[in-house]
Amino acid sequence: MMLDRIGNVAALVVMPFLVAGVINRVKSLWSGRKGPPILQLVFDVVRLLRKSSVYSTTTTPVFRIAPYVLLLTALGSATIVPLLGSDPLVSFPFDFVGLAYVWGLGRVATMLAALDTGSSFEGMGAAREATFSTLLEPALFLIVGALCLLSGTHTLHEALTPHLDSGPAVVVWAAAIVALTIVLQVETSRMPVDDPSTHLELTMVHEVMVLDHSGPDLAAIQVGSAIKVFVGSAILATLLNPWAGSHTLRAAGVNLGLCLVVAVVIGTVESLIARLKLRTVPQYIVVALSSGVIALLAAAWRVGGSP
Amino acid sequence: MTSPLLLLLSVPVLLIGAALSLALRANRASAMVSVSTQAVATALVLTSIAPVLGGFGPVEVVWPWSAPIESIAFRVDALGAFFLSWSLPMTLLGTVYATAYLKPYFAKGRHGGPHFALLNTLSVSFVIIYSVQNALVFLLGWEIAAISAWLLIIWDYQNQKVRFAGFNYLVSTHLGLFILAAAFMLLNSKTGAMDFRSFGQFLSQPSRDRGTLFLLLGVSFGLKSAFFPFHTWLPRAHSAAPSHVSALLSGVVSTAAGLFGFLRFTLFMERPDEWMGWIVLTFGALSAFFGVLFTTTQRDMKRLLAYSSTENVGIAAIGFGVGYLGWTWGIPALAMAGFAGGLLHLLNHALFKCLLFYGAGSVYHATHTVDIERLGGLAKRLPRTALLFLVGALAISALPPFNGFISELIIYSGLLSGRAPSAQRNIVLIAAAATLAFVGAVSALSMTRAFGLTFLGNAREPERHVAEEEPAAMLGPMALHAFGVIALGIAPGVGIGLLRAVLDLFPFAPGTRPILEPLMPAVWASRAVGVGLLVACVLGWLRGIKARRSVTWGCGYTAPSPRMQYTGSSFAEQFARIFESFLPVLRRDKLPVGPFPQQAGHVGTHHADPVERRMFEVLGQGEDLVTRASDRISEQPRFAFAAGLVTLVVIGVLTYGASQ
Repeated sequence: MMLDRIGNVAALVVMPFLVAGVINRVKSLWSGRKGPPILQLVFDVVRLLRKSSVYSTTTTPVFRIAPYVLLLTALGSATIVPLLGSDPLVSFPFDFVGLAYVWGLGRVATMLAALDTGSSFEGMGAAREATFSTLLEPALFLIVGALCLLSGTHTLHEALTPHLDSGPAVVVWAAAIVALTIVLQVETSRMPVDDPSTHLELTMVHEVMVLDHSGPDLAAIQVGSAIKVFVGSAILATLLNPWAGSHTLRAAGVNLGLCLVVAVVIGTVESLIARLKLRTVPQYIVVALSSGVIALLAAAWRVGGSP
Repeated sequence: MTSPLLLLLSVPVLLIGAALSLALRANRASAMVSVSTQAVATALVLTSIAPVLGGFGPVEVVWPWSAPIESIAFRVDALGAFFLSWSLPMTLLGTVYATAYLKPYFAKGRHGGPHFALLNTLSVSFVIIYSVQNALVFLLGWEIAAISAWLLIIWDYQNQKVRFAGFNYLVSTHLGLFILAAAFMLLNSKTGAMDFRSFGQFLSQPSRDRGTLFLLLGVSFGLKSAFFPFHTWLPRAHSAAPSHVSALLSGVVSTAAGLFGFLRFTLFMERPDEWMGWIVLTFGALSAFFGVLFTTTQRDMKRLLAYSSTENVGIAAIGFGVGYLGWTWGIPALAMAGFAGGLLHLLNHALFKCLLFYGAGSVYHATHTVDIERLGGLAKRLPRTALLFLVGALAISALPPFNGFISELIIYSGLLSGRAPSAQRNIVLIAAAATLAFVGAVSALSMTRAFGLTFLGNAREPERHVAEEEPAAMLGPMALHAFGVIALGIAPGVGIGLLRAVLDLFPFAPGTRPILEPLMPAVWASRAVGVGLLVACVLGWLRGIKARRSVTWGCGYTAPSPRMQYTGSSFAEQFARIFESFLPVLRRDKLPVGPFPQQAGHVGTHHADPVERRMFEVLGQGEDLVTRASDRISEQPRFAFAAGLVTLVVIGVLTYGASQ
């Protein structure tokens, strides 16, 4: 158990930077560039930590607190998720409710900080983030609810390791992968929902909300976002990992490898696909919602009349 | 068994207070009398009900009375005691708030005596409603509450809009009263009595009439608690009333009393039918869904909070629905989670909703508007109000570590338990959980919008005068409510402790049952979030020391004005477009014509309540339809004959049915 915990903490320290680096490297390779070093985010963070921050005269303490709320909520959510495919650092009944609401707290803090600057661009980003999240939350609950029903459990890590012993179970599993991929893309502001490397404020979602942050505050936001990407990819990796649930080195290794595969996929998608029109993003999220409904129906079919 | 004398003593104390505050000419004296008598009454009530909540059985007394009531039984069981334990203290806090809120009116020579007297009679009505066991006296208490609330709402009676809102409330509440009276008459015809004990014996066994009564009582209490689609009176009344009245009406009077009535009659049943549970769950989910949708587009902060009451009673009713279902399926754990979550959510809702209404009141006090499109940047002018409002806003969005999260977590634990007897039933419960998740996220959207646009950024109307005073009589009640919000979030055991005796009243699985114990790790996680939030606050505060200051980056534009900030309508626009069919927008525009327009154009959008609009439409068309039909009948004798025949048959069937 102790070893598990150490492994989880080590993964939490290293992997967010690695995942972010892999995504950027893949994007560079697709566009024919050499790209920044894999651990560029570490250098960025160190550089930002040595700088001081500048605050707008419009802002209140809400603006200064928000980056740290985002960072700490991201860290908190990472303790619930099975980073190595087996036991997470913390696990308790209905921990996924906690995950959703802790992410919600981080999101609300970021949105308030954006509104605090009085900039209409940042307000725009906040409104988009809020709108997308309203469709995303029910999708997350439908999927996790279906997985819980299928596996008869109430914790996230057990729900993510279902027995694929029948057709309906496989349907649930596949639908969960689709929905959780969309959840990952929306929650961590990746393509095709949001373009993290765009330079046009009008089309940004997450990036536009943090325009005014600088110095260590910006570092906190960047690390927080990187952790969220890692957490999201670890959820997907656990679902994909055939050895998930066992406390072996193989399971852990495969899980981390799958996280990097997810990162490669994210980078590839971002290189090959254009961002959706903002008006069509809700429709994209509805795909997650309908996958959730499909998963739920399939789970009911599998479980049948007996609870 | 304790003596209920102390409890009943509070009634004359409150009435004397009401009479005195009417009689005294000085506003200060009226306020003092009202606050002090309410404090005494609260102390009396709390001392007498403390043993009830501690599980030492109910307090009761029976008074012989003349016909037609014969005898009045007062009986405070744990359910009544739970509601009394916070209704009276919160009314007291509201009265304290009123002393500061009404000061500008007093300065203009208005006499506040009647207003304070009515706040006292409101407390009297709580003592009656939550303790009496006789239908007629219950109706009397119900009516005292309704009339007091109506008169409290129309404080600003010179304004025609306020009078209309008051009248609207009066009509709706009396529609509810008629239906309640109908239910009581039906019960009386079956039992030949008017006391709740006989009613209870009839309701305990399933029958066709029990179903009818369930529906009648449900509609009546639903109207009182402003369930969708009976909510239309609520936003009008709340935006018209003074803030403390909106707070009490929303947190304590309508929601709490309505659902109390519902639970009072629920408890008589030995075991409800399954369809009842589904109906409660469906109505809860509908109310939560539509209530929260309507919050997103409101400009008036108090209307927004009013719709959020509909949302929150819906959430509580989802809990009760789970409770009903768990009860019928014979799964005590599920029933416990449902009822405990729902009841705790009612208390939590009262705490944060009053806090938010008081916050809106402070904003009105300082700026004379609650239109969020005209505000902005108030956090720098009213920092303490802003902080307290933020606590309430986070709590109502059910975010950890505040109390709303705990009650919703308990409800989630019921919905997602997977314990329902069939897979089909389980997926309905999971779908309800997804609805609750949607409601939470939308609530976060609209509370972010309300807080962000009002308190953050720059003032949208820099010329508007902001009175930068935050009187202690307004901050005090808010701070106490915020304390409650945080305390029940960090130590939910306190709230559950209040509920333990109430849950013992339910006839399933006697003895002590774990409610919060399986969820304790989640509570600890929520506490950890609280610590994290504190750490973030400290870090943010440290960052602010000696920091460099500049302007907000304008993305290259160098002459931004406060009017260019994102507005409430634009914030909600994308969301409102997705749910266009439920949030119809009324657009009034005059667009500029030609390449060199001579006249300035304008666009105005307005979101009206779709239910109310449809209601008025149907009423208008309905009259039209009837007129047209009756015109035709008079012209053609055949139709007149047919209509008369149908009427005769209907009357005959009804008479036959009644004789059965």
